[in-house]
Amino acid sequence: MPSRAQAETQLRMFWWGTQERARRTFGVNDLFMERNSGVSITGETLSWGDYWPRLATQTAGRNIADIVQMDYRYIVEYAGRGALMPLDDYLGESLQITDFDAGAIDSCRVDGKLYGVNLGQNSTCSVFTRSLLEQAGVSLPGHETTWDTLGEWSLEVVDAVGRPNFWGVQDGGGVEPAFNVWVRQRGRELYNQDGTIGFTEEDITDWFAYWADLREKGAVPRADVQALDRDAPESSMLALNYAAMIFTNSNQLVAHQALNRNKLGMTMVPSGGEGAKPGQYMKPSQMWSIAAGTQAPDVAVSVVNFFVTDPDAANILGVERGVSPLPRVREAIAPNLDELDRAMLEYIDFIKDKVGPLPPVPPRAAGEIDRLLIRVNQQVGFGQLSPSEAGKQFLAESTGILERS
Amino acid sequence: MSVALPSEATSRDAADRTARLPSGAAQAYLFLAPWLIGFIGLTVGPTLISLYLSFTNFDLIQSPEWTGWANYVRILTNDSKFVASMQVTFFFVVFSVPLKLAFALAVALILNKGLRGLSIYRALFYLPSLLGASVAIAVLWRQLFAADGLVNQLLFSLFRIQGPSWISSPDYALWTLVVLSIWQFGSPMIIFLAGLRQIPQDLYEAASIDGASRRRQFWRITVPMLTPVIFFNAIVQTIDAFKAFTPAFIISDGIGGPVDATLFYTLYLYQEAFANFRMGYASALAWILVLIIAAFTAFSFLTARYWVHYDD
Amino acid sequence: MTTDSIDRPAAAGRLATARPLLYHVLLCAVSIVMLYPLLWMLASSFKPDDQIFNDSSIWPSSFSLGAYIRGWTGLQVQFGQFFWNSFIVATLSVIGNVLSCSLAAYAFSRLRFPGKNFWFALMLGTMMLPYHVTLIPQYVLFLNLDWVNTFLPLIVPKFLAADAFFIFLMVQFFRGIPRELDEAAMMDGCTPFQIYWKIILPLSVPVLATAAVFSFIWTWDDFFAPLIYLNDMGSYTVQLGLRSFVDSTGKSDWGALFAMSVLTLVPILLFFLLFQRLLIEGIATTGMKR
Repeated sequence: MPSRAQAETQLRMFWWGTQERARRTFGVNDLFMERNSGVSITGETLSWGDYWPRLATQTAGRNIADIVQMDYRYIVEYAGRGALMPLDDYLGESLQITDFDAGAIDSCRVDGKLYGVNLGQNSTCSVFTRSLLEQAGVSLPGHETTWDTLGEWSLEVVDAVGRPNFWGVQDGGGVEPAFNVWVRQRGRELYNQDGTIGFTEEDITDWFAYWADLREKGAVPRADVQALDRDAPESSMLALNYAAMIFTNSNQLVAHQALNRNKLGMTMVPSGGEGAKPGQYMKPSQMWSIAAGTQAPDVAVSVVNFFVTDPDAANILGVERGVSPLPRVREAIAPNLDELDRAMLEYIDFIKDKVGPLPPVPPRAAGEIDRLLIRVNQQVGFGQLSPSEAGKQFLAESTGILERS
Repeated sequence: MSVALPSEATSRDAADRTARLPSGAAQAYLFLAPWLIGFIGLTVGPTLISLYLSFTNFDLIQSPEWTGWANYVRILTNDSKFVASMQVTFFFVVFSVPLKLAFALAVALILNKGLRGLSIYRALFYLPSLLGASVAIAVLWRQLFAADGLVNQLLFSLFRIQGPSWISSPDYALWTLVVLSIWQFGSPMIIFLAGLRQIPQDLYEAASIDGASRRRQFWRITVPMLTPVIFFNAIVQTIDAFKAFTPAFIISDGIGGPVDATLFYTLYLYQEAFANFRMGYASALAWILVLIIAAFTAFSFLTARYWVHYDD
Repeated sequence: MTTDSIDRPAAAGRLATARPLLYHVLLCAVSIVMLYPLLWMLASSFKPDDQIFNDSSIWPSSFSLGAYIRGWTGLQVQFGQFFWNSFIVATLSVIGNVLSCSLAAYAFSRLRFPGKNFWFALMLGTMMLPYHVTLIPQYVLFLNLDWVNTFLPLIVPKFLAADAFFIFLMVQFFRGIPRELDEAAMMDGCTPFQIYWKIILPLSVPVLATAAVFSFIWTWDDFFAPLIYLNDMGSYTVQLGLRSFVDSTGKSDWGALFAMSVLTLVPILLFFLLFQRLLIEGIATTGMKR
């Protein structure tokens, strides 16, 4: 593209993800540049773990990219500290996302202002080894599975598979999204609107006790086995072949399948049974945010808009970042998806009317409390705390963390 | 910081002669110039800024606000993770450094003998150290020390023992990292080898003419001549062990688990800085670590005059 | 290697065949433990991704070069580019470290000057501060110098002896060189620089080789500095390239990671094999006498 050497708008874009994502993202950027001469977008990409230290360093050095990929958890940290640009003024103007699914815009708000554009809908889910369970003659977990039946089902798997060091379901006591579902099924939230703890000591104690009971019965992995899980697909109980089912994010099905010889299936997280409220909710798998200090906010917004609304862009992106919150985009890409991707799309479709409303935005330091849950559940697992002691300690420590942030 | 200096034991005669050279100091500073430029240009500023930040609430994004001694007070009076991570780090220093050095020295002594094929062995022994802190190591260590890992398979087939998942059990996780540290003994081994090579051959020739036994030669020549290198390895390995970060970051779950069993000091510091957005607090943690390491190093230099033999 | 047994020439005659055999058995046993990771990595580079994490056998069920091809060509930039970048950075780091650190070490070990104790203590002090807390101020500094997204932040510090480890290492070895040598040279009218260049350096080949080997390998293996300072994939080093295959939130290419991990070991292993001759044989040729 010659003849426009001058007056060119230079944008930097930064995201985390795999090579697959990089390929698709560069593809969309190329398409945008082709259609909008005078704009050049350079892309930088790293893996999730490497992304955050560099983003923090660049932000501290006032050298943040114009368009950055944001996570539901981190957006509070960055937006709350003024690193991101509010997008409300563009909403309905150059940002044509007003016909997003309900909640898909609000989930990107912090303190009432819009700081991100939803790149894909996502929810918690259970992923299980379909073919292994079928071979073993165990019924597949499904929508009707409750927390009460989960334990028996898991013991059934243990018996049917009959391999040492193999369990039905992972120990979910340290999985914050699963606990979140549990709490919401009981009609409460992880965090209140004002950022304080939203659940009771009884909730958290019951949670620890539930998993302690399953552990005792031999229905879930021993604590030392479960501790191998470092919240990445390759160390999950599924990939390491210690359990037939785990809790994860719906857009990670593809990642888990790649590491598994068995065919995987997905379903909702167990329900709370009769009379329980819906526990799950839709959240953005990730979003585009725009740096507060960008020199070209208008162009940046139009790039972001292109990503989420243009059908050609959507076809390049597929559902790699999650399922689009825009119905017409979903329809446009559905025929071109492979089996796994379609399963993800169908899952989001299936749960659409079964999820609850969006919870209040988690406060800063929610990530620290997430890690606290892992540790305290381990303390119960290794016999250092009883469930009721653990419940007290978790509440005390998490309150301390919130007060400090 | 007052440390004993390399020149302290210098013979006065030689020293005086050097000093009497015209513009001796200027010459010396000329040699030192590259380091001085780098030190003043690249190191001092960031170091002082981190010291300043340790007295602030810097959160990586907003401008830091001065909070006085608040960070230090909290660390020393009200931070259970500080205590836990100190314990983990001291444990690691106490066990990994001596074992690694002993292993490295033993292998270096064997490799210094007139055996065929030594260069192959040297390369093989250095292989684990070549891997550094790659992702591959993380996966490999899990393959070895997980519940269904190779170690447990061996234990079971040999002794019918069902081992725990070593790498993720609070009682053993730190030990697997000590083993990793010993396994990567290549660097101190190479330095020991270089040190052994530097010992002048004629010392041994003279000793054997005098009829000294090999054992006597080892204790009277090899060990004293090697003390500067032993001293060096001990110091830098200890500093490295105090600052150990990657083993826990890469191999254990990256958050210091299970139950903070591998919460190394710098891992805690890193989490505070980059995961919890408390760079000011992390800086204070860092400077406390500097004080501890500096005290240890100063002590080592003070005792060094009694056992480290320099040829000058 | 006939000059290998220098620590006990008189005993050489007594060296029966039993002892070397014993040593060989011992060394072989240790070698197997040391070699295992490489074999395992090699095996993993041939395995499909769905077997790497739940099958610990060291023998792959099938041999496919697919992972090597994917790894080499699968990124936006060919993996060879990362080799080239790493090679440049590592080679310049070797030169920079050996030159600048030996100069500083010579001053600290052989020259007397006011303030020496002070500077030496500070130099050691730079080894003690965890780099995580100087990272951001240093980043801002390099940003202001407009060095970000170039190799300069990775290379320039090496020419300015920023790695105190090597200075300290060389100080320890230089001090082992007999003082009589410099004194004699000084009598002959040599300047300190001539002493450094003609006496100290030639007599220090083993430690210089050691420094060279470590510089190369550590630079090659480093990922944190490149991670922070290199933005464009075209300027990535091999370690950053390797990390591009794996992401904990998505579908990683583990086979490619292991395949390229095996390949990235080759240059450092070659470098090591090349330099270990200098490291081991250096001293024999200089024939140092007291």
